[in-house]
Amino acid sequence: MTALGGPKQTAGVQPPTAMGIVLSIVLIVIALALAYLLLQMAGLVALIGIIIGGALVAFGVHFVPVGGAPAAMGQSPGIATGVAMLAAGAGLAGLFAGAWAAPLGLAIAVASGAIGGGLLMAITCTMVNIIYVFGMGIPAASGKVAKDPITGDTFPEYKSQGTEGHGLPFVSWVGGVIGGALGGLGGTLIYLELLGVYQAQLPVILGATVEQIAPVAISLAGIFAVGMFLVNAVLAAYNITGTIEGPHDPKFKRFPRAIIASAVASAVAGIVALGLFQLLGVF
Amino acid sequence: MEEIIFGIGITALAGALATIAGAAEDTESDIGSQGDPNSQVQLAPQMGYVHRIFNKAIAGEPPAYGLWVALGAGLAWAFMAMQINPILAIVLGSALAVFVQGVYATTAYLGRTASLSKFEQPVYVDILKSMTTVTMAHAFVAIFATVTVCHLMNGALGHPFPLPLLGLIWGIALGAAGSATGNPFYGKERQYQNQAFGAGVPIAASGNIVRYAEAGQRNSIDNGFFSAKLGGPASGICFGLIVFFELWRTVVFEPVAAGWGAILVGVVVILIFAIIDRYIEVWARKTFGPYVAPEEASS
Repeated sequence: MTALGGPKQTAGVQPPTAMGIVLSIVLIVIALALAYLLLQMAGLVALIGIIIGGALVAFGVHFVPVGGAPAAMGQSPGIATGVAMLAAGAGLAGLFAGAWAAPLGLAIAVASGAIGGGLLMAITCTMVNIIYVFGMGIPAASGKVAKDPITGDTFPEYKSQGTEGHGLPFVSWVGGVIGGALGGLGGTLIYLELLGVYQAQLPVILGATVEQIAPVAISLAGIFAVGMFLVNAVLAAYNITGTIEGPHDPKFKRFPRAIIASAVASAVAGIVALGLFQLLGVF
Repeated sequence: MEEIIFGIGITALAGALATIAGAAEDTESDIGSQGDPNSQVQLAPQMGYVHRIFNKAIAGEPPAYGLWVALGAGLAWAFMAMQINPILAIVLGSALAVFVQGVYATTAYLGRTASLSKFEQPVYVDILKSMTTVTMAHAFVAIFATVTVCHLMNGALGHPFPLPLLGLIWGIALGAAGSATGNPFYGKERQYQNQAFGAGVPIAASGNIVRYAEAGQRNSIDNGFFSAKLGGPASGICFGLIVFFELWRTVVFEPVAAGWGAILVGVVVILIFAIIDRYIEVWARKTFGPYVAPEEASS
């Protein structure tokens, strides 16, 4: 216990508490029941899709190598920015790609979303290494592992004195691309589920054709998808607490807790998004 | 065929505009110390190093640019709905968004710096007057170029998202690319120019940022001049490549294999970047070699 009475902060596994799991299951079941009551099977399926999408986003954020302020000084490895911010950049680029491919079907749209997010991270991670190497003359050195699990490169001898490592090892590069791809996939899935529901509801409510309501449905689904993406990215960032090097970092093992939390957050936010028009009708 | 050629032209134009936007964004954020190195600018007076560096970091670059670009795009969208010429509408929207950025920069500098009064860090009014306008000018270039990219995506390439939503998405992506690429160059190479090249800054040196220039005290316009040489252009290339490849693979290859062509090309591009990255990593290890402690530290 700390002086403030909170749980002891450890670098590795921080499993969810029993109370947290029970509360999460109750909230998810209530949200699913509400979705069924509001929109029957279509609502239930859409909410399950949103929950899976949200969990994928939270899981993906844990892969993204983020070094924060210390990385900007070459004091720790990773990309020198915030966890939620970088993940949002990649995931939203994926959402952009997925939404563009939406008319081609679910499989192509989610694959396109994943590639969109992965592409942003691939280019960004490469440019980060270019700056480290050609702008600062610093080779990559992980602070968490002695050897790159993919390439087998050793790090201790390359680490500068007084730092926790620097640069972006190849395993972090791969983690970044996987994280971006999962974020783009999750964000696109949320968008497609919401779009399907709005495209079914709006023509009835507004007495218009599917083509006429398309701009409203796309805008609403897009805004809610962006919002839910940010909720899940920030939740995962809180779970990470600061910086993470990627899948080889001990903090990565904390992901089950973030997945449970983001499933609940996605369920609650998702039911608001799905029941939007019923809620507006009440007021 | 004509449609694809038109699409490639628009893609190239969008990539070029995004490159300009990325370069301007990183230079703007470095002049305002908005990236992660802001922590050192804020820490320095607490360690006894009073300075004349501008610091407007009360939000990260991605959400800040998400706000400004979405604002510029939203206003441009509204002006276009009023039948104003798109170019003029984008200029007007971007100009109004820049005023918000100016208010943000002013209040952020005053707030952050005033909080350091107990460490005897003064609020320099001349810094406020000279730096804010410079960041506003750079921000205008970044916002205008990004809103134009969004307009091209929506109007010319037919992306379904409305302009303000595209502004939010690409504003956040712009900030993410710019902060990721540009921050280390500003943080390590500029703020800690007094530290050895080719090594990270020792944690013990935190806060001891360079405060003096060739003549007199260093200010953030000096830092913008430095960032514009590598950090800014590299950020521009990063954002430009992201926008270009994202559009190119869709515009050219989506008609192939019922949409799977664009995905396959995306995978190939990712693999090419993986090879480039690995080549650079190996080159650095071979060329620079293992870390050697400075003589004064080892003796």
